[in-house]
Amino acid sequence: MRPHFTPANSRREFLERSGLGFGALAASLLLQRDAHAAPPPPVTAKGKSVIYLFMHGGPSHIDTFDPKPLLSQLDGKPVPPSFGKVDFQFTKMEKVPLLASRRVFKKRGQSGLEISDLFEHTAAHADDLAVIRSCHHDGFTHITGQNWMNTGWARVGRPSVGSWVVYGLGSASDNLPAYVVMLDGGIKGGAPLYGSGFLPATYQGTVLRAENPPILNVNRPEEITAPDQRKMFDLLQQFNADHKNARAGDNELAARMAAYELAFKMQMSVPEVADITKETDATRKLYGLDDNMTSEFGMQCLMARRLVERGVRFVQLYSGGKKGSEVGWDGHNQCEQNHEFMAKKVDKPIAGLLADLKSRGLLDSTVVLWGGDFGRTPFTDGAEGGSGNRNGRDHNPYGFTVWMAGGGIKGGKVIGGTDEIGLRATQDPVTMHDLHGTLLGLLGVDHKKLTYFFQGRDFRLTDVHGENTFTSRLL
Amino acid sequence: MRSTLFFLLALPAIAADTAPQILAANCLSCHGPAKMAGLDLRTRESALQGNAKGPVLAPGNSANSRLYQAVASRKMPPGKQSLSEAQIETIKSWIDSGAPWAGPVKPAPQWWSFQPIKPSTKSIDDFINAKLAENNLTPAAKAPKRTLIRRAYYTLHGLPPTPEQVDAFEKDSNPKAFEALIDELLKSPRYGERWGRHWLDVVRYADTGGFETDIYFPNAWRYRDYVIQSFNNDKPFQQFVKEQIAGDEIWPDDLALDGGFQVPEEKRLHLDAKIATGMYTIGPVYHEAGLFGGQQRYEWLTDVVDTTGEAFLGLTFGCARCHDHKFDPITSRDYHGMMAVFAASDERELPVIPKFNIYGYKSGYPRWLKAEELKSAINRIEQRARQRVVDKVRARFPPGTPAATIDLALTEAGLKENAQGIAADIPFTPEETAERDRLIRALGDAALKANPVPQTATVLGPADKVYDIHLTTRGDWRSKGPIVDPALPSALANGATVATATRRKSLAEWLTSPSHPLAARVMANRIWHWNFGRGIVGTPNDFGRQGDAPTHPELLDMLAAELINSGSIKSLQRKILLSDAWQRDSASNPANEKIDANNRLLWRANRQRLDAETLRDSVLAASGALNTKMGGRPVIPPLTKEEYSSMWAREQWPEALDKSEHDRRSVYLYVKRTFPLPMLASFDTPDTSVSCARRDATTVAPQALTMMNSEFMLAQSKRAALRAEKSPDPVQYLWRHTYQRDPSAADRERAKGFPLAHLALVLFNSNEFLYTD
Repeated sequence: MRPHFTPANSRREFLERSGLGFGALAASLLLQRDAHAAPPPPVTAKGKSVIYLFMHGGPSHIDTFDPKPLLSQLDGKPVPPSFGKVDFQFTKMEKVPLLASRRVFKKRGQSGLEISDLFEHTAAHADDLAVIRSCHHDGFTHITGQNWMNTGWARVGRPSVGSWVVYGLGSASDNLPAYVVMLDGGIKGGAPLYGSGFLPATYQGTVLRAENPPILNVNRPEEITAPDQRKMFDLLQQFNADHKNARAGDNELAARMAAYELAFKMQMSVPEVADITKETDATRKLYGLDDNMTSEFGMQCLMARRLVERGVRFVQLYSGGKKGSEVGWDGHNQCEQNHEFMAKKVDKPIAGLLADLKSRGLLDSTVVLWGGDFGRTPFTDGAEGGSGNRNGRDHNPYGFTVWMAGGGIKGGKVIGGTDEIGLRATQDPVTMHDLHGTLLGLLGVDHKKLTYFFQGRDFRLTDVHGENTFTSRLL
Repeated sequence: MRSTLFFLLALPAIAADTAPQILAANCLSCHGPAKMAGLDLRTRESALQGNAKGPVLAPGNSANSRLYQAVASRKMPPGKQSLSEAQIETIKSWIDSGAPWAGPVKPAPQWWSFQPIKPSTKSIDDFINAKLAENNLTPAAKAPKRTLIRRAYYTLHGLPPTPEQVDAFEKDSNPKAFEALIDELLKSPRYGERWGRHWLDVVRYADTGGFETDIYFPNAWRYRDYVIQSFNNDKPFQQFVKEQIAGDEIWPDDLALDGGFQVPEEKRLHLDAKIATGMYTIGPVYHEAGLFGGQQRYEWLTDVVDTTGEAFLGLTFGCARCHDHKFDPITSRDYHGMMAVFAASDERELPVIPKFNIYGYKSGYPRWLKAEELKSAINRIEQRARQRVVDKVRARFPPGTPAATIDLALTEAGLKENAQGIAADIPFTPEETAERDRLIRALGDAALKANPVPQTATVLGPADKVYDIHLTTRGDWRSKGPIVDPALPSALANGATVATATRRKSLAEWLTSPSHPLAARVMANRIWHWNFGRGIVGTPNDFGRQGDAPTHPELLDMLAAELINSGSIKSLQRKILLSDAWQRDSASNPANEKIDANNRLLWRANRQRLDAETLRDSVLAASGALNTKMGGRPVIPPLTKEEYSSMWAREQWPEALDKSEHDRRSVYLYVKRTFPLPMLASFDTPDTSVSCARRDATTVAPQALTMMNSEFMLAQSKRAALRAEKSPDPVQYLWRHTYQRDPSAADRERAKGFPLAHLALVLFNSNEFLYTD
C-alpha cells in the first residue's frame, strides 16, 4: 500500500497541494492517485475496488430477494391498518389492494438464502451474497431515491459514493480513470449521480460507452492520422517545455504537460479496455454475450471486470436507463411483466460477473453492490383503483433490499428485515449512511475519518450519521 | 510555511489579561446575547447557572469545570483559533482561585468580520508593501507591457486583446497609457459579460431547476442580462444589493400608469429592479410528481436563506437549518427568522410590456383559438385510431375477463407503458392520413399567424397568503416548533428590525446601511478575488470562524469603506488595477518562495489558468468566429451524438437553428442543471446547486482529450487556419491571434511542415494560450 497522505483537512489546503504549487506534482495527481483516507482500521478489509450495479427505476424487493408469505394470503385485500400509513408518489395506500408476488421463492445454496426465480442465475451464488433487506430512505421519487443511493442526500450537490471512494483511496491505474460509469440509456438523476459535488472535478465519474468512442473525445479525429497526431503532441510539448522553462518552479504547468501525455496514452488504453476480441468464447457465453436479451448488460459486466482488473477503483453500471420509451425497472404498470423482462436482461450477466471475478481471484478484492432507487409497494399502483395499474407497484423507499458480495464478505447471509408485507424496514433498519459507511468499511476506510472541508464544516459521505454500519457483520 | 506566516494571519487580538476578559474576547460572540447551546457567559451568575447540561463553572475546581475542560481540550472555541497555552492556564488558575468576576463583562470585542469597518487614507500599495517589507519579501518587477495588456483583457473582458490592440499599447509611450487602457476596457460591454458571469456563480445561476423534471425557467435570462447590464452601468453596489433582495418592495410601480405604449425611463428602471429579484427564482427546484407543497416551499426557503447568507453576508447559514451553528453565532432561530423574512413572498410572472400591449395580444387571441381547434381535431383522429386498436385487443377476451388480464394484454401490445419500450403502431385509414396531414399544415399556418404570448419576467412579489414559519428540528419540514417572527441574525442585527409589510426591504436596507460590517467587506473581497485570483479572505463565502483569516485586514477595510462611499465597483477596480501590486510580473523568486510560497502577500502576480468560459470565448475570438451579440434567451448549442446519449430527455435540448448563435459568448449558453455542457464542465464550471465563491482549477486528462479531439476544437482550428491562409504570413497570423506575439525563429522552424489547422490546434492546446502570466 502506498504511503497515505494525511487527510487534506480543508478544500483550500487540498487545492494548494494540487493547484498552487505545493509539493511535487506529476501524473499521479491527474489520475487521482493521491489517497486522502486515514490509515485503515484494525479490521482487515480486503476490498480494493467496487462494482455498483444500479437497477434504474427501482426493483421490487418482494418479487426478488425478500419473500413475503403473508402477502400471498392477503392478495387482493386492503392493507390491514396495523401496518400504518405512509406517503407514496401516486398511490393512496388505503384505497388500493395488496398484490402478492407471482414469483416462486426457493432456498438456495448451502445457506438456504431465499431468492426468487427472477434471479435464477444469480441465485447460484447465494452463498456469496449478503442480502440487506432493511434498507430505507425518504426519497419516494426517482431523483431523490437515486440521490440517496448515490450520494447519501436527497437533494443534489453532494459528491457521489464513487467520488468519495476515489478521494479516499486514490487510483491504482496508470492510464485509466479511477471512476467509471456505464449507462444503458439516459438516467433520471443525470450527471450529479456520478458527479463529484463539492469535491474537485478530478473525482467525478467518467462515462464509458459500450459503443465507440468509449469515452467522450477519446478517439483521435478521423481526419488526423496517428503519426500526424503524435507529431502534434510532440510539437505541443516542445512549446510547453519552452513556456515552462521560462517560468521556473510552476508545478501546475508540468502537471498539464503530464495530462497531455496521459491523454495520449488513454487514446490507446481506453479502446484496449473496450476491445473484447481477446476474451474466450466461454467467457462471452458466461456473460450472455451470445444472446440478444443479455448481451447489452453482459457487455457492461464484462467491461466492469476488465476495468477492475486494470486497477479501476469504482465502476458503476446502470440497467434500465431510458432509450426511446423504455421505463427501466419502474414497474408502475404490470410490475410482474416488467420485472420478468428486466431481470432476464441482467440476471445471467450478473451471475457471470460473480463467477468470472471469483475464478480470477478478483472477487475477494472487489465489492459488488446491487440495488436501485428504492423497492416497490406490496399493493397496486394508482390512486383510486379505476385509473390505477392493477398489476403495478408504486415506489417504496420505506423498506427495500440491496445485496453485496465480494470484498471478503462471508455470504449466504441476511441482514435486517421488513414487516410481513414488505412495506417498511422493521428489523435492523439500515439507512443509506449505514450502507455507505459499511461499503467504505469494506474498503478499509473509516467513514468518520474521510472528510472534506466545505461551506464551513467537514463533510463526510455519511454526513453526521452512519452510526449503525455493519462491516464486521459481513466479514 | 504556515508557521512562518502564522503571526501575520492571526487576528488583531485584544490583549486579555484576566480570565473574564479572555472569555469576553473569545466566547461571547456565541455564548453572549445569542446564548448558543443555552449558555450565557456574560456574568458570573449566568455562567454558574450554565445550560441544560448543568453548570459550566465549579469555582475552586477547574478539573470539574466544563468550561475549563472545553477550552483545555481545544473543543472550544471551535474552529481554527483555539486559546493559547497561557490563556488556558490563566483560566485554570482563575477557576481554582474561586473564579472572581468583577461585575458584568464589558461588551465582547467581536469576531473580526463583525467589527465596524475602519476607513483609511493609505493606498493599496501602502498596505501590500508594508507586509512585504515586514516579511523580507522582495516585490517582483512590473510586468512587461504585453503581459499587462493580456492580463487586463482577460481580467476585465475574459477575452484576449487583438494583435493590433497589443501593438498600439506596446508602442504607446505615454505614462498614462495603461490608465487609459483600463478606462477603455471598463467602458466596453464585454466587461459586464465577464464580471456578470462572476456574480452568476455566486447566485448559483441556471436556466433550469434540476432534479428529474429539470423545469425550464423561461425568464432566467432576464435576470442574467440584468446582472450583465448592472456591471456595465456600474450600478451602485448598494442599489445592486437592494434590487436583488427587494426591488419590488423598494420601487413599487406600475408599468402602465404613465403613458400608453411608451414606457417612461423611470418606470423601465423600476422594472429592472423587479427583474433583479429573479435571483430568488432561479435556484434548484425540488419538483417531482407527488411531492408536498409544504416541503417544496421549505426547500425554496432553505435555498433562499443559504444563498442570501453566502452571497451578501459571506456566512454559511446552512448548518443552522438543523441546529445552532457550531462555529458562528447563527442560531437555528436566526435561520428561521431569515426564512420568515422571505415567507411573505412568492414567485410571480410580471408582464414586462405595458398593459396596452397586453390588450393587443388579447385582441388577437382568437388566432390562438384557431390553432387550439386544429390541435383538438388532430387529437380526435389519433384517439379514434387508437381506440380501434384497443378494441381489437379487448375483443380477444370474453366478457367478464378480469380487468388485470386485459391490462396485461394491452401492455404487451404496446398500448400501455412497458419495460420493452414497445409502442403500438397506430394505423390510420387513408382518409384519416389525408385529413391529419391537412390539419397539421393548417395548424402550422395558424401558429405562424398567432401573436406570441405576452412577455413576462419571473420575479418575487407578495405571497397570496403569509404562512407562519415554525422552528423545525433537524431540518424536518414537518416538525412544528414555536412560530418564529421575521428577524435579522441576532448577533449582527444591531437593533435593526424587520417591518411586517415589507420584510425584504428591511433586510436590504439593513445590509446596505453604511455601518453594516459584512456586506461591503464581502463584496470588496470578491472584487479583489476576481482581480487577483485569490481574495484577501481566501474563502469569499465564509467570513466566519471556519473561513480564512484576512491576509490584509486593514486593506480590506479600506476597500470596503471606498465601496460604501462611492458605491462604484468600476472605480474600485480601477484603483486595484492601477496599483503596483496588480501590475507585478508573475515570475518567481527562490528567496521569496522560501518565505511565502503561495504568494499570499502578493509579492508577484498569480499565474492563472483561463476558466471554462474564458477558454471557450478565447478560442472563438482567436478563430475569428466570436459572435458578440448580447443578451436574450439562452443559446442551446448543438451536442455530438455521444454527448446526447447520456441525456434523460432529449426534447429538453432544442438546439439553436441559427448557426451563428453557436458562436456566442459562453455566458449566454444554456445552463441546464442536470446536463452541464461537457466542455465547460471539464474546465470546472460550478455545479449550480449552491453558491460558488471560487472556481476550482483542476488539471485532468479529459481536458486534454476535449481540447485535442472534440468537434468544437477541430472546427475552430479549421476556421483559424482559413483566416490565416488569407494573410501574407499565415504562421505569424496564428501566433499573433493566439499568443498576441510574433513567432520566434525557433517557433517558425518547428512549425514547418504542419498544416495550418493542425498548428492552430496545437497553439490552442498550449500552456501559453491557456494561462495568463
